[in-house]
Order: sequence, then structure tokens, then C-alpha cells
Amino acid sequence: MSSELSSVPMPLECTGVRRSFPVGDRKLEVLHGVQMALAPGERLALMGTSGAGKTTLLNILGLLDRPTEGKVLVEGVDAWSLSPAKRAELRNRRIGFVFQFYHLLPELSALENAILPAMILFKGSEFRRRRSEFETKARDMLVRFGLQDRLGHRPGQLSGGEQQRVAIARALLLDPPILIADEPTGNLDRGTGETVLEILLDEQKERGVSLLLVTHDERLAKRCERVLYMEDGLIQADSSAPIPT
Amino acid sequence: MFRTFLSFRYLRARKTNWIGMAGIFVAVAALVLILSIMAGFLAEHRRTLRGNLADFVIQPSKMMQAVRLPNGDLVDVNQDVQELIEAIEAHPKVISAAPQLQWYGLFVPDGAESALTRPMQDAIQLVEMIGVDVEDEAATSDFAESLVREFSPKPPSGRKESSVARVLDPSDPFAPLEREGRRTGRPGRPIIVGEQLAYLWGLRDGQEVSVVTATFDKYGELNDEQAANSRFQIVGSFRSKDNEMDQRRIYMDRRELNDFLRQTRSWTSVIVKLENYERDKEQVREELWADLNAKGFLGEPGSNPSEFRTWEDFRATLLAAIENEKSLMGIMLSLVLVVAGFTVFALLSMMVTEKRRDIGILTALGATSRGVMVLFLLIGMWEALIGSALGAFVGVLGAFKIDAIERWLSSTFGFQIFNRDIYLFDHIPSEVTPYGVGLIVLGAVVSTLVFAAIPAWRASRLDPVDALRHE
Repeated sequence: MSSELSSVPMPLECTGVRRSFPVGDRKLEVLHGVQMALAPGERLALMGTSGAGKTTLLNILGLLDRPTEGKVLVEGVDAWSLSPAKRAELRNRRIGFVFQFYHLLPELSALENAILPAMILFKGSEFRRRRSEFETKARDMLVRFGLQDRLGHRPGQLSGGEQQRVAIARALLLDPPILIADEPTGNLDRGTGETVLEILLDEQKERGVSLLLVTHDERLAKRCERVLYMEDGLIQADSSAPIPT
Repeated sequence: MFRTFLSFRYLRARKTNWIGMAGIFVAVAALVLILSIMAGFLAEHRRTLRGNLADFVIQPSKMMQAVRLPNGDLVDVNQDVQELIEAIEAHPKVISAAPQLQWYGLFVPDGAESALTRPMQDAIQLVEMIGVDVEDEAATSDFAESLVREFSPKPPSGRKESSVARVLDPSDPFAPLEREGRRTGRPGRPIIVGEQLAYLWGLRDGQEVSVVTATFDKYGELNDEQAANSRFQIVGSFRSKDNEMDQRRIYMDRRELNDFLRQTRSWTSVIVKLENYERDKEQVREELWADLNAKGFLGEPGSNPSEFRTWEDFRATLLAAIENEKSLMGIMLSLVLVVAGFTVFALLSMMVTEKRRDIGILTALGATSRGVMVLFLLIGMWEALIGSALGAFVGVLGAFKIDAIERWLSSTFGFQIFNRDIYLFDHIPSEVTPYGVGLIVLGAVVSTLVFAAIPAWRASRLDPVDALRHE
């Protein structure tokens, strides 16, 4: 599973990741040397009790937080050895995020939210030149997700499930090889959650994207090929075999 | 791209930002308006300060001729002025030059009786007698205009009524009037007095007055009688607009003054008019001085500043005070821009706090911290640009229309805001300079950006993990 064995680097990998936070004059270590890898096209669930360090690990893998020790490799590149601008570009082009609370910008319409990554990536003239290309792409996705009547709506006018579908379209806009989803259905009722999950998993499969899914929910984990269990800042179990449904 | 796009979107969606923009708008409009009116007042003031002063006044100290006195001493005596005038008029940018004879005198309007009985300031006054050649003077200074400016017999408050109207015939201003009182003896020499002098003493047209001065004989001795004392007849008044000049100057024919001074001096200075003073003053002063030096009329350029003066040199202190006042006013009023900057600072700080989550999202989606900073700076910049553009427009419009606006306000609310009598202006002056407006707009933009930079920097330092945790 580790990159040394394979000639193709893993999409996302971390080695010896430790993370500690200062608490008063002491240091509280949340991650104690985590090692893991996400294989190409793989659907991986990360489970664990709250306080186990899931979110911290996710932030580190998503390059939002810097590990105190250890490395994060995105397609074989040590992300924290890059300049902040290069790292931001890596986040932008290689990693798609789906958050529990959707995290759309309230001032933008659904369509505008969906093309935001392209807006961030390209400079003014380049973006203007390619705007219609991205809009078409985003519109196609949103229509496919059943939002054809919602393109011009603001997040405030959309239901939770609709917002999460916009967030999925946004995460996939630049065709990143890595998708990180943090409790994507955690804030939705069961039926809506199912629909959103189907969309997410269908897209993942179709595109061959590697998905890292953080969840509490056994049912979600069962849909994944592999499950990592975290406890006390370490990965305690790795079920390489898919759990039968 | 997201920076421009989002900054516009935030600007439009968040109405609080409009308050910042309104603050900048008001500040810029007020600054443009006030400074334009101020500049107008000062420009008007500058014009009145000038009075009848010609562009250049040349007073050669070298233009002398050695004369041997009977006791054997050598003294320098004035030479013929014509050569000097010709030399000056040879310069292509000089329109004309005219000789003047200037001498101080003591003005005694009511004769010996008043001089003996009244306190000094009610009996005598120091005056500047200016002997001119009418045609040359008219071509070179504002003398002719000052003779025909509107005359009002109603004196300014605290002054006496005067019947000294403008001269009857401006082309022959020193024509004698009918004598009043004394019928015998030599008629008084015709003089034209400044309007304020006439009001001050309550002078009448045709009135005869005395002027006393010290004169020297041609051997350089103070005259036997110690003073020249002569009767003069007031034949008219002038208004140069400069209060000081209108109170001190007395114009007369140069030959008459020369005669009064017992023919010891025929001229003291030459005044010069340029084709375009504001444009050419420095260049012509330099060239003309060097030229006159080469021809032996003047000393080395710069060696004796009183030999060659512009009208501004005569009013240097007052003009410097005006300039000083202008820049001081500008600096103090610029504080308004700082206040507008504070508003932007407060609103943007609020917005950064409010938009923490958005900042986290943008970072997660790949925005750099610099990009986030630029986003908030841009919001400040749009506010500054739009606010100051509108402010400059309204300010300039207001400055052009201030007179009409004031009249409308005065008639609508029934009290006079601007009293035109106090300032001796018939309208509220205002002067809009593109440079000044540009400077104010630039100041507004810079001040806003400086104040916007603090919240923008704070936004860029936000930890995305922290920012995203909140819901």
C-alpha cells in the first residue's frame, strides 16, 4: 500500500504525522504518528469516536493544517515543502472538499458557487475566456444532480440536500483526483442523505476519483472498500476487505 | 479572478459597505467644495492685493550720471529715462514700459488750521505721490481701469461721505476742475486720490488740499524752507481694489510732481508690462536683468533685489501668508479623509469577523492568504474609488454652482448665508483646479487603502481550520 512499493505514487499519503496543540504551557498531542495512504480510485472510510483525531487528520490531509511532524504527500509531492502559493494550487486542483455544513458562499448563486474553484485558479482574462466552459460543466453537473431549477438560487434559498449537491459539483469542477468528504450526510435527514450519498458515490466511481470519507455512520462505511478505525490519535484497525452489505 | 468578482459581490450585497462609501463621498465632496471656495477667496484676495502694481518695477541704482557740485564734490544724478525704456521694450515679451516718479508726502487736507488744532491722525496723513505719463501708464498698469471702476458715494461703514467721483475724461484725467473757494493765485496742481483716502477724509470734487514734503536742491542740500509746500486740486478718484493702495496713493502728472520737487528728480522707477506675466515672469526677469546689466543700467542680476522687482515681491509677505493659509487649510481638512478611513476600517473589520467562514472556505478551495488580503483591500478600494469619484463630481458641480445654491438657500430659508457687502465681492468666488481635485481623490484612496489594509491583513492571517469550525 505504501508508495515505496508501487511505481505510481499514491494520490494522498501521510507518514509519521504527529500533531500537537499547546494547552496552557503544555502540549496536547492529538495525532501520534499516523501513517496511511489513499490508493487511486479507492473508496476509503475513516471512522472513529469523537476526539479520536479524525478531523485533525482530515485537516492535515486536506493541507489546511500543518502537521507538527511527518509528511503529507499529494501524488508523491511533499506538500509542506512547497511554497504557500504552490500548496494553495495543490488544494485547488488536486483535492475536492465536501463539508458537513456544505460551506457555500451565501452571496453567490448555486452556479457561481460551483465554479468558484475555477475563479480562484484563473486570473481575470483567462477566466473570462473560459468562463462559459466552466459554467457549462457546472450546469451539466447541477442538472444531473437534479438542480436544474435551482441554478440561480442563493444557498439561503436551497435545502440542505440541495446545498450539499452544489458543494459536490464545486468539489468536482476541476476534476481533482482526490475527494475528501467530512460527514457529508451528517447534517441531512436519512432520505436526503441517501440521495446525496448516491450522487457522491456515483460520481466517484464514474470518475475513478479516490474518496476519503470521514464518518460516524456504519452504513456509510459499509459502502466503502476499506475502513480505517482511529482511536486515540492512531489508526488502530484497517479492514482491507470490503465489508459485506 | 475571485478577488474582483467577490469584492464586487460583497460590496453590492452588504449594505453596510455603502455607509463607508457614503462617508468617503461626503468627505471628498466637502473637501473639494470647501477648498475650491477657499481657493476662490484667496485668488480674489490675491487680485485685490495687487491693486495697480505693474508686472515689474525696475529701480536702477546705477542709472546715474556724475555731476560735479560747486564745492568740488561729485554726486550722481538721474539720467534720461528714455534710453532705459527703449532697452526694456527691446525685449520681445515686453509689451510696454513707463516711467514713474514716486515720492512721499504729508497730506494736509484741511490746511494749517486743522494741523494746529486736531490730533495728528485727524490732521495729516502720509501719502505716496505717483507722477505718471498718462498714456504710457495706461498701457503698462491698471491705472486706466482704476479710473473708470464703478463709484459709489456711499462710504463703507465708519467712513465719511465723499463727492470725489471718477475723473470726467479718463483720456485726460488730470484736467483741472472749476476752483472752489480761493479764486486768486496759482491754481492747485491736479491730483487723483484713492477712493479710500477720499472716504477717510470726506473729500470733495474740486477741493484744494496741501501736501508737504522734504526736497533737496540740486546741490544735495535740504531746501531752504526745509519743505516744499504746495496746493493741489482733487480732480477725481480711482479704485485699484487694494485697500492700502486706495488709501495711500495720489496720482499726478509726472511733470507736475517733478516741478513740485523743484525739478531735482524726474523719475524714480520704470514699470513694465509683459505679454503673459504668469507664463514668462521668471524667464523675462532673468533675461531682462542680464540684458540691462550688460547695457550698464543695472547691477549684476540678483546683487541688489530692490533694483528689479515683480509685483509679487512687493506683496511677498501677504502672498506667502495666503499660500500658507491654503496649505494649512488643506492639511486640516484632510483629517476628514482620515475620519472616512476610520469608517471603512470599522466596517471592514466587522465584515472580516462576519466572513470568517467564507475566508476559511476560500482557503480550502485554494485561495492564497495574499488573495484573501487583496479581496478585502479591493472592497476598500471600490468604496474609495466610487465614493471619491461621486464626491469629486458633486463637489466640482457644487463649486461651480455655489453662488446659485447660496442664493436659493438664502431665499428659501429667509436669511442671508453669505453677505456680499462684507467681502466686497458680488458673488461667492470659487476656483476648481484639476490638480487639487486629483490630490483630494488620491488622498481619499490612499487613506482608505491604508485603513482597509489592517482588516485585510487580519483576514489573510485567519487559520482556515479555525474559520471553518464555526457554524
